[in-house]
This record gives sequence, C-alpha cells and structure tokens, in this order.
Amino acid sequence: MLEVRNLTKFFGGLAAVRDVSFEVRRGQIFGFIGPNGAGKTTLFNMIAGTYKPTSGQVLSCGRNITGYPSFRLVHEGIARTHQVVRPFRAMTVLDNVRVGAHFGRQGGDHKSAADRAMDALREVGLHHLTDSSAHVLSVGNQKKLEVARALATDPELLLCDEICGGLTRAETDAMLDLLRQIRDRGTTIMYVEHDVRAITAVCDRILVLNYGKKLSEGTPNEIQLDPAVIEAYLGAAPKGWNGKEVSEGTPEKVQNDPADIETYPGASAPRAKTGTDDE
Amino acid sequence: MTGARLRIFLPPIALLGVLLLLPAFGIQPNAVRLLFVTFVWMTASIAWNLLGGFAGQVSFGFAVFYGVGAYAAAILIDGGRLNPYLALVAAGMTAAIASVLIGLPTFRLRGPYFAIATIGVSETVRVVATNLEFTGGASGYRITEPRPFNQAEHYYTALIVAALAFAVSLFISRHKFGLGLIAINQDEDAAADTGVNPFVYKLKAHAVAAFLTGVAGGVFARYAAFIHPNGVFGFPISVQILLMPVIGGLGTVWGPVIGGVVIGVIEEEIVAYFPQVHLLIYGLLLIVIVLFEPGGILGAIRRLQRWVRRIRDRQAGKRTADARSKKPDEVLWGAGSGPGR
Repeated sequence: MLEVRNLTKFFGGLAAVRDVSFEVRRGQIFGFIGPNGAGKTTLFNMIAGTYKPTSGQVLSCGRNITGYPSFRLVHEGIARTHQVVRPFRAMTVLDNVRVGAHFGRQGGDHKSAADRAMDALREVGLHHLTDSSAHVLSVGNQKKLEVARALATDPELLLCDEICGGLTRAETDAMLDLLRQIRDRGTTIMYVEHDVRAITAVCDRILVLNYGKKLSEGTPNEIQLDPAVIEAYLGAAPKGWNGKEVSEGTPEKVQNDPADIETYPGASAPRAKTGTDDE
Repeated sequence: MTGARLRIFLPPIALLGVLLLLPAFGIQPNAVRLLFVTFVWMTASIAWNLLGGFAGQVSFGFAVFYGVGAYAAAILIDGGRLNPYLALVAAGMTAAIASVLIGLPTFRLRGPYFAIATIGVSETVRVVATNLEFTGGASGYRITEPRPFNQAEHYYTALIVAALAFAVSLFISRHKFGLGLIAINQDEDAAADTGVNPFVYKLKAHAVAAFLTGVAGGVFARYAAFIHPNGVFGFPISVQILLMPVIGGLGTVWGPVIGGVVIGVIEEEIVAYFPQVHLLIYGLLLIVIVLFEPGGILGAIRRLQRWVRRIRDRQAGKRTADARSKKPDEVLWGAGSGPGR
C-alpha cells in the first residue's frame, strides 16, 4: 500500500538517505532500524511530509504523494506519532483526540467526531482520563495519547516514530501489544525504533539502514542472521562467528565521521554498550 | 445538558436584553456615548481574540482593518450615497479582502516574526493612506449623511455589531473551527500532523477578525463623522485592540468583552479628566498582567473562585479534602501507570 522508490535526501553535500526503495504491504508492521545517523528519521520524515525529498517518489496505493504536507497526508489516510510527544498541552485528553477526529480523513460534525475520539481513547486505554489536561499525563500515557490522536484521524497507515522511547519494559510491552492490536484490526503500521528488541518483537518485516543506504530487508529472523547487519551493529565479526566465515577487511565506507555513529548491541545481546572495531 | 447550555447562553442573552432596553429608560447622552465607544472597542477586541487568542497569532496590525473599514464606510456613505448598513457590510468585506492580502505573505512567518511583520504592514498602510488623494490625506475625511444625527441609532448599531461579534466568537469556540485554531495555538506542527491546514485556518480566522474589525471601524467613522489616517490607521489603535483581550483574558470568550469594557471606560472617562494618563494605566495594567496573571481579569476571577472554594472546603472539615486528595494524583499520573514514573 506504500511504495518508496529511490528516495534520496541531501542536506547540503551530505546524503542522509540515498536511493532507498521498499514496499510496505497492507496489514504489516514494517520497521526501520539502523545505527544513529543511518537516516531512519530522515527517511521517516520524508514519508511523513516533514522533509521534501531531493529525489525519488513515495506512492500510496499507487498515488504519488511525494512531498505532500502532513495535513494532506492525514486526509490521504497516513497519520503519524511523534518521537518527542507533542500533545496540545492546554487541552483535555478528549479534545486532543477530537482534533484528530474532526480534521482527519472522515472529518465531520461535533457528535460523531466526539464519538470517534472516545473510540480511539478506549482503544489505547485512556478513556478514564478524558477530562484531565494533556500535560499532566505520564510519559507513557502521553505516548498513548499520541497514538489515540493519530488513530482518531482514521488512518490506513500509521507512522510511529520511536513510540517506545523512554518507556519502561512493561510499558514497552503494553505498547507493542497495542501496535499488534491496531495491525490486527486492519491498519498498516510503519515503525522506526532504536530499541532492536522492541522492533524485532513486533515487526513483520524490517528494513535496515546504514549510512543512508538500504543494508538489508527481511523478516526479523532473516535480518538478525544477516552478516552485513551484524557487522553494522557490532563491527566486523570474528572468524567463525555465527558459524560462517566473514572476511576481516572492512568494506568500503562512505566518508562520514565515525564519531557520529554510535554503536548498538545486537538484537539478542544484553543491553550493554559495545565498541566497534572502527573506534 | 440543558443546564450547561443555559449557563452558556443565558448570560449573554440577558445582558443583550438589558442593553437593548436601556435607552428606553432615558439614560444620559454621555452614558450612551460611553456605551457606544465600549461596544466599538469590544467588537475589535473580540475580533482580535479570534486570531490572537484562539489561534495564538499576535498581530500588531489591526489598525489596518479598523482604518480600511472606517474609510470604506466613509467613502461609500458620503461619496457613494450607499445605505449606511450596506456600507458597513461592504466595509467589513473590504477589510477581510485586505486581511487575505496581508495574510498570504505574513502567515509564512511564525511567532514574533509574524508580529513584527504586521507592524511593518500597518505602518506602511498608514503612510500610504496619509498620502493618498481619496482619503483626504492628512487633513482627513468628513462624512455627511442625509439623515439627521440620531444617537440611539448609533447605539443600537454598535450594540448589534458587538453582539454579532460575541455570537461569532462563541460559535467558533464551540465548534470544529475553534478547535483547529486552538490546536494551531498549542502546536502548529502537531496540528498539521493531525490534519489541520494551519495556513488556511489562520487566513480564515484573520479574515473573520478583519471583517468584524472593519465593521467596527465603519460604525465608529459614521458616529464620529470625521476620520483621518493618523487616527484610524495609527499604531495606538493596533495596541489598544491587542490590549483589550490581554487585559480581559486571552483566548476566552468573555475575556475580550471584559477587556473592551475596561478600555472603553478608561478611554472615555479617565481621559476626560486626566489627558494622556490612560497610556500610563495601559502600561501598568500590562505589566501587572504579564507578571502576575497571564489569564487577565478572567484568570484572576477564576483564581479567586478557587481560593474561596478551598477556604470553604477547609471550613467544611478535613473529610472532603481527604476524599478529594486522591483525584489530583489520578489526574497527574493516570490510574493505569505504575509508580516511579
């Protein structure tokens, strides 16, 4: 339902995203991962309408929606949540979600929109807090509010930007359950996350980015076993690791500053910082 | 449900009723004049609040619409021999068109940049109007009407215009349009991500506000029968229009009404005895409000209500206080999420 063709974004001379193509099928949870600076957020923002791509196309159900501003995307059925929560602070929880219901794909008059807003709040489990101010909610509940507000616009595709960032383990698990529930009722989800555990747990398909390029794409199992992915996250693997011979030499790297690239533990590794061989 | 509706609609209707009947009890012409001026200011105040209070777009350029409205009405009534009421509508329309022309470039700017741009536009318009032939230039424009002057007619015109402005404001605050404006005020990007087109919404709010301000300008021009560019297009007009909602309570329906009354009284009563002292009062009021009560007079009233309620609760015994003390926690942290967040 969403197709990205050769999407490229230059910031000055730096290619943040270069020639990335992929397709998200209906009913999937599609994830992006990659080390810091890999271009996840840039790619996300190009699809979400925040950045205009330098070249390439974004197609929704065959319609070219490249460079649409975000409010038009909402009317096309593509809604997003924010990495750093952005509730309408002085509004009540219900009013926050009502904005989505009133201005979303269905729009509509007062009563039915308020009903749809309540449905969205019930779905994420915030219906008991409708009258409290948005800014007094906990971070976990503000993240849920982000989801509810996006859901109230009646999206076909929900773009989630680091929706589990800053959540505890238990909250993360609850959020992932919510994402599955949203997928199962027919909304496709595109999901960017740092937390590899979260993303491999929930995604049907994952795209791995590195240095702005597509490194790998596949099911969580496939990408976890992909030597190129392991190398990008952990550095070049020693010989014989994972039962495969991996050559020692570093492949050609794009001229980026290595200091910008933080490293991440592997998918199943314990959550400790691991140095790469580059550093 | 009906009780809540009654609380919303009864006070303004009752107030309107009293004000409609007031002249029948034979009040002094001076008092009528005071009320007339208050209504004109109130209209502009309510209008500014639509854009500045609801949508959060602080404009220092509303004198443009006030002046355009005043001149459009003056020229159509005096030169065009148009029915004065049609002329007022036309004055509003002209101001609305001007607002779109101004809004198209300036709404590409945000926050303080938008505010500064409106000052520039407003001063430009004033200088141009001072040097144009058909505005009478700096010497002003005199309006003569075929009918004799009737103060009551002006009173009712201004009252109805102010009531309409209030109705528009109340309507917007309770409907989708107002929700979109408040969303833009809170977070423009998040509003866009939720489906609001901020540019178009700001243009629309600007146009509605300009229409009402233009009509107010026209009503004033008819009453004053003489206008000049440095008066109606002057920067003090812009500041005064902006001050009223700030004093009364920004982004509320009643705030700009209260602010309009305050400024109207200061303008008409205090200036008469102490010329120029009103500027001092405005400055003091603004400092006090910005420092102590950003919610304006309405905010101060609400704070007072909370105090009274708290004192009453305390007198009623600790039990009620205890029973309530859990609720803020629930509101703060949510019943679902665990401790330690």
